[in-house]
Amino acid sequence: MLSPMPTARKSQARFLVGLLLTMHGFFVVPWLVANAPLEKTMGIVQKIFYFHVPCAWLLMLSTFVCAGGSLAYLFRGSERGDRLAQSSAELGVLFGLCVMVTGPLWARAAWGVFWTWDVRLTSSLLLWLMLIAYGLARRYGGAGGRRLAAAMALFAAADVPLVYLSVNLWRGLHPTTKTVSSLAPGMRLPFFFSLAIFSALWGVLLALRMRVERSQARLVELELAVEDAEGKSQ
Amino acid sequence: MTYVALAYGFIWGAVFTYVALVGRRVAKIDAEIEDLRRRVKPGA
Amino acid sequence: MARCSWISQAARIAWKDLHIEGRSREVLYTMGFLAALVVLVFSFAFISGQEGTVGPDAVAGILWVAVLFSGTVALSRTFDRERESEAICSLLLSPVPRSAIYAGKLAATAAVMLLVELLLVPLLAALFSAAIWPHALWLGLLLLLGTLGLCSVGVIFSAALLRARSRDALLGALLFPIVIPVLLAASRATAYLLDPAAPDLDPALFWTRFLAAIDVVFVVVGVWTFEPVVTGE
Repeated sequence: MLSPMPTARKSQARFLVGLLLTMHGFFVVPWLVANAPLEKTMGIVQKIFYFHVPCAWLLMLSTFVCAGGSLAYLFRGSERGDRLAQSSAELGVLFGLCVMVTGPLWARAAWGVFWTWDVRLTSSLLLWLMLIAYGLARRYGGAGGRRLAAAMALFAAADVPLVYLSVNLWRGLHPTTKTVSSLAPGMRLPFFFSLAIFSALWGVLLALRMRVERSQARLVELELAVEDAEGKSQ
Repeated sequence: MTYVALAYGFIWGAVFTYVALVGRRVAKIDAEIEDLRRRVKPGA
Repeated sequence: MARCSWISQAARIAWKDLHIEGRSREVLYTMGFLAALVVLVFSFAFISGQEGTVGPDAVAGILWVAVLFSGTVALSRTFDRERESEAICSLLLSPVPRSAIYAGKLAATAAVMLLVELLLVPLLAALFSAAIWPHALWLGLLLLLGTLGLCSVGVIFSAALLRARSRDALLGALLFPIVIPVLLAASRATAYLLDPAAPDLDPALFWTRFLAAIDVVFVVVGVWTFEPVVTGE
């Protein structure tokens, strides 16, 4: 039995908060980014990293949350876990798409080629493909589709370090990665602010998406109840 | 500079499209729930 | 009824599958033929007329891609016999521990794949003049570890896709991204082993150990997820 749906007002309030957050990010982040110091070698193009890295971070976060939900679903039959897994997988595909578009754009502008088999980008690509496969398994996996997808999510999460390590060692002799761990002080604030806003956006989208799934489940419940009622009254 | 604008634009375009699609689905489901509720009430 | 140990139960399941396979040899022949064809296809695709051969990197890659593609065929057949007449239900109703079923299926599928691979390697040696003999045993170990890695994941997905219609398309789509590290480690190690000009074999050793570690992770996750996946809705 689902818990009672939040009242219309409460969900409207939540939606408003989410909207404000998004608008805030939409306007404030670029302003901050524009005022951040220019990086020495790459100039203005480097600013893509303020959006690219948070998206990559969200891709990874989505994968682990999906695995967590899948765990709950597989081993404790938690429907909520399944909804969480599905929603976060979708968000992972969304932000993964952003990573896959902004990454090559950055690479093209900075190094002239769209793809350099960079460790992080390649690992992100594989992770993104796994989440897409998760979606395919859910939709086309037949009766056992949800369980199949859940198992996929668990393997994917276990695979994250393996993929990163193997690709890293594979590319060991060709370091074309630009480490972003050492940030100039002026860049830290915009970066972490952008990261925070994107993460909050992710959270809001997740809540929104899960609400859709819960509404859907409630709809099915109600439909069954109505059928029962109409059947009894005949 | 165009690259930065393209990257930024794409991200927000994708996010807004997603929100729009999800919003549409929410509206549809809410409408169906309301419809069901109306059907149940007179029959009670 | 005699008390059976876990190993004997797993072995019994593996033996049953191998015995049935031994009679028709359907998977063996189709998989073997497909693997040989994949190797040929790659030869036509990659060898330029003049050179006549490719380097050890490419040979290693060709080997493992052939193993992956033909292995997918074997994996999609893993639970074929259980699907007919719903034998899977009887298997699950029996008191055999699920992990033993998983291990048995894993062993049977891997055995069939290894048999094909053992025929594939000499084929490669002949076609590309690859130096397989200096480190033949090590190569055998790599084949074992790589096949184990592929099967440990593939058996789970094959079990879950038992009743799905788009089984064949989905199996590959799900399996390939996950086993990229296996492919990477196995082909890297094989390339070093096949390279006559390699100064030492430390990289090969490193990749072999890495492959073994991957196998451990995958088998653990596999054993863990087999039961909930197979006793599902």
